[in-house]
Amino acid sequence: MEDPLFDLYDREKRLLAEGPALLESDNDAELRAFAERLFERFAKVVRENEDLTRHSDRQEQRLVKLNQNLKTQTRELDQRKTELESLSTQLAKYLPPQIHEALFAGNYDTRIATKRKKLTVFFSDIKGFTQTSENLQPEALTEYLNEYFSEMTQIALEHGATIDKYMGDAMMVFFGDPETRGVRDDARACVEMALRMLERLAQLQQRWRASGFDNPFEIRIGINTGYCNVGNFGSEQRLSYTIIGGEVNLAQRLESHADVGGILMSYETWVHVQDMVDAEPRGAMEMKGIARNVQTYGVKGRKRTGEAPAFALSHPAGVSIDLDPTTLDDHDRQALAEKLAHLAQRLRQQD
Amino acid sequence: MSVITDLQISATDRTPEIHLSPSAGVFSMKGESFPEDVSAFYGQVIVAIDQLAAKLDKPLEVDIAMVYINSSSIKAMFRIFEGFEAVRKAGQAVNIRWHHQDDDDIMQELGEDFKDRFPELSFDIKVL
Repeated sequence: MEDPLFDLYDREKRLLAEGPALLESDNDAELRAFAERLFERFAKVVRENEDLTRHSDRQEQRLVKLNQNLKTQTRELDQRKTELESLSTQLAKYLPPQIHEALFAGNYDTRIATKRKKLTVFFSDIKGFTQTSENLQPEALTEYLNEYFSEMTQIALEHGATIDKYMGDAMMVFFGDPETRGVRDDARACVEMALRMLERLAQLQQRWRASGFDNPFEIRIGINTGYCNVGNFGSEQRLSYTIIGGEVNLAQRLESHADVGGILMSYETWVHVQDMVDAEPRGAMEMKGIARNVQTYGVKGRKRTGEAPAFALSHPAGVSIDLDPTTLDDHDRQALAEKLAHLAQRLRQQD
Repeated sequence: MSVITDLQISATDRTPEIHLSPSAGVFSMKGESFPEDVSAFYGQVIVAIDQLAAKLDKPLEVDIAMVYINSSSIKAMFRIFEGFEAVRKAGQAVNIRWHHQDDDDIMQELGEDFKDRFPELSFDIKVL
């Protein structure tokens, strides 16, 4: 039980309190006795003060040393942190971003474990890649292929896709794990991503042609929605976060049957996106490993809405405009119109 | 002779474990000491120690093993040691064992300071 009224300096304070009255006294004996007690207490206080000062200095020296050690450790930790960040950045290129983030946040389970989940799976493949590659210098092929994958990957990430793998010239991504917005929204995000990829590829094709790549890449896309096994496959030594199952194979088959520059999707995907894209039935397909006949739909494009039409212009000479005028205010719209008119005038006057 | 009750204080993050048993003739104190209110915390201990001189009927065995002690707490320990000194003057032996970690020169030197200040007490500085 603590004693809030106790005072560590009670003895000294009592002695001090006696002082004023005694100093007024003429009694030498009393004064002498008081002086002796005062002297004795003063001597103790001086000795205590010496010890306390010495102890305080020792503590301070230890603090200085600890502080130096702390600074050294902080420097080492900063260096280690920099190394880890660099490692993390390098690893990020090999891992799906959601998995990478979860791993470094410390909440990703690396046990061999899979689950069945309804996913939307996307496959794309470059048409006639082998023949195309034979017509290009290896350096140019590498440059175009890297640009293609970089652009497509960027779009995939912007739409929340999990990039499963690149297989030569093919790309496999899926929606619905480890994060999902619900089966319907996952499917819509996937189709929207595919449309954006085709639009971006059209721009790339123009640029590539202008730079001398006269037969640029064209792709086919297949999309399917269905139950897959998703998770960590492999061994305790080496894991791969991926998806497997008949529905995954179906997405790949859909891709192989898609038009060049087109998207072929299954009925299961179409039901989720029928209000956002125009699609035409392409009949039922028999798929090895899939018990049912699969009804397929070819995407014709985005559904027209009542909104202001986009201004689009493309020309093989390297012109590509895809403008939504509603994103501009009056001033910007007028300024852009004047610049375009100026360009058009110069073009007409060119010999 | 009236009996003084035992004192048992558990350790906290800022205060040491303290045990006083006048009937067994033992006092021990171990841990860290930087209480928010040193007077309030040590007041109970100092009052109990001050009563020992008049009532203890056997030698007092003291074990002190501190890891960290701030300056205010050292002032309180001087008061506790004055109590030990009073016990010795009242006729009972006081045997102090001051324990410190092998590499803790601060606590070792503090023990030596107390030993110098109270030369009449039996004082043994030991490595834990």
